[in-house]
Amino acid sequence: MSLFTCPFCGLRNLEEFAFHKTLPNVPGGVFEATFLRRDTPESSEEHWQHRYGCRAWLRVSRNPSSGDVLEVELLTGMAASDGPAGRGSAR
Amino acid sequence: MPNPRPRYSAAALLRARFSRNYWKPLWRRARPQPQYDVVVVGAGGHGLATAYHLARDHGYKRIAIVEKNILGYGNVARNTTIVRSNYLCPENHYFYEDSLRRYEALSRTLNYNVMYSPRGVLDLANSDDEMVVLARRGNAMRLAGIDAELLDRRGLLRFAPELDPTLPRRYEIVGGLVQRRGGTVRHDAVAWGYARAAAALGVDIIERCEVTGLSVAAGVATGVETTLGPIGAERIVFAVAGHTGAIGSMLGIPLPVETHLLQAMVSEPIKPLVGSVLIYMYGHAEVYITQSDRGGLVMGGALDGIPSYTREPVWHRLEEVVQSAVALLPQVAGIRILRHWAGTNDQTMDGSPLLDRLGYDNVFLNGGWCYGGFKAIPASGAACAQLVATGSAPDLIRAFRLSRFATGHVVDEKGAGPFPVRQ
Repeated sequence: MSLFTCPFCGLRNLEEFAFHKTLPNVPGGVFEATFLRRDTPESSEEHWQHRYGCRAWLRVSRNPSSGDVLEVELLTGMAASDGPAGRGSAR
Repeated sequence: MPNPRPRYSAAALLRARFSRNYWKPLWRRARPQPQYDVVVVGAGGHGLATAYHLARDHGYKRIAIVEKNILGYGNVARNTTIVRSNYLCPENHYFYEDSLRRYEALSRTLNYNVMYSPRGVLDLANSDDEMVVLARRGNAMRLAGIDAELLDRRGLLRFAPELDPTLPRRYEIVGGLVQRRGGTVRHDAVAWGYARAAAALGVDIIERCEVTGLSVAAGVATGVETTLGPIGAERIVFAVAGHTGAIGSMLGIPLPVETHLLQAMVSEPIKPLVGSVLIYMYGHAEVYITQSDRGGLVMGGALDGIPSYTREPVWHRLEEVVQSAVALLPQVAGIRILRHWAGTNDQTMDGSPLLDRLGYDNVFLNGGWCYGGFKAIPASGAACAQLVATGSAPDLIRAFRLSRFATGHVVDEKGAGPFPVRQ
């Protein structure tokens, strides 16, 4: 999984994109959406941003077991200020 | 069936020198029996330690560990071997301190040399503000009776001369927080030592046996379905960190876990340079460096940052870790990376582990270890065994129950919020 297709920029290196979050996939209310995930090894629905490119927000379907990107589409209705935060670390 | 093994000692080593068949396999290759008291799923550090403590402390005679791959194939083989207890949150530092104390005695406990090396874990700071943050963490540790020492520039130079301030470093290092009892432990030896000790207590270790489902009768779990047939069990423990999410799917229970990759790498061997464990965060990046006994620099950094089960590390993260290492130690810029690899992490919604019942009264979960899996093994095994045997969680792990997310009692060491990728 080293390439990603941006709807504006075409095929670009993964390094330009920042993963933001997985989308809630457990039915229920705010608690389920915030804290619970159903592990689906073959598909994951996520928000990404083409952060070091056109900065478009994207809705991405991926297969986390193979690393394949299944679908990338433009996400609408999200403010840029909700940008991806830093990644995890040992602290 | 108990399976006595020779006890290792200086005299035994001498005997071995003159004996042709002294060295035997450390554990029996067992075939599954139809029924056990406890079946532990996962022959990694946590599963092995849990089974060992169930047999030693709680007197269970019929225990099986089933493992879909080979023993110690997962994260116990993929970590950077660091042990420490320098946490800020009380729930974490008491738990990890218990673990570190057990690590200090582990070679004797298991009669197996796990090569605990208290070389010190040193967190570094680039600014006075970062020193304040380190001092706060150090104070929290000292209040809990854990050793922590704030080093200024001079103290730093004495403790870690490789951080020579005259070198052309990207950012100046102004001090650090050291936990001298922290250090490294030979990771594979932990798995092998627990496996040997557990097998000696009669635990069946069954490799290449994948659990495919849970057998349930009248709302009670009665065993596991495996690729080697059904195995009956009165209690079942899942200790499969890295694949805990998959267990949740198998049981139909959503969990506060996402699966992420964490990579590590080792350089070609060089002469002794790094005497402690260096942990360095600056700006956006992070690196932790130790030097193995063989001389290689073992390095790791932040998560790859993408949910994944592939165990294929992302290339640009390798570059980032190496850049950070060179920013810290300019003198290593010319050396080459020999290997790099990744493991799958259970990343929980608050960055702390999950030790609790899972769905059924007699099914237990030991997982969600995020970054802390290897250093937690001895405490996790002892506490999880107590949870399984007595049905109630010891104080040490009560904070790590699954219900904490619903009640608002999350243990969020970093204050990162419910974003597994940021933990």
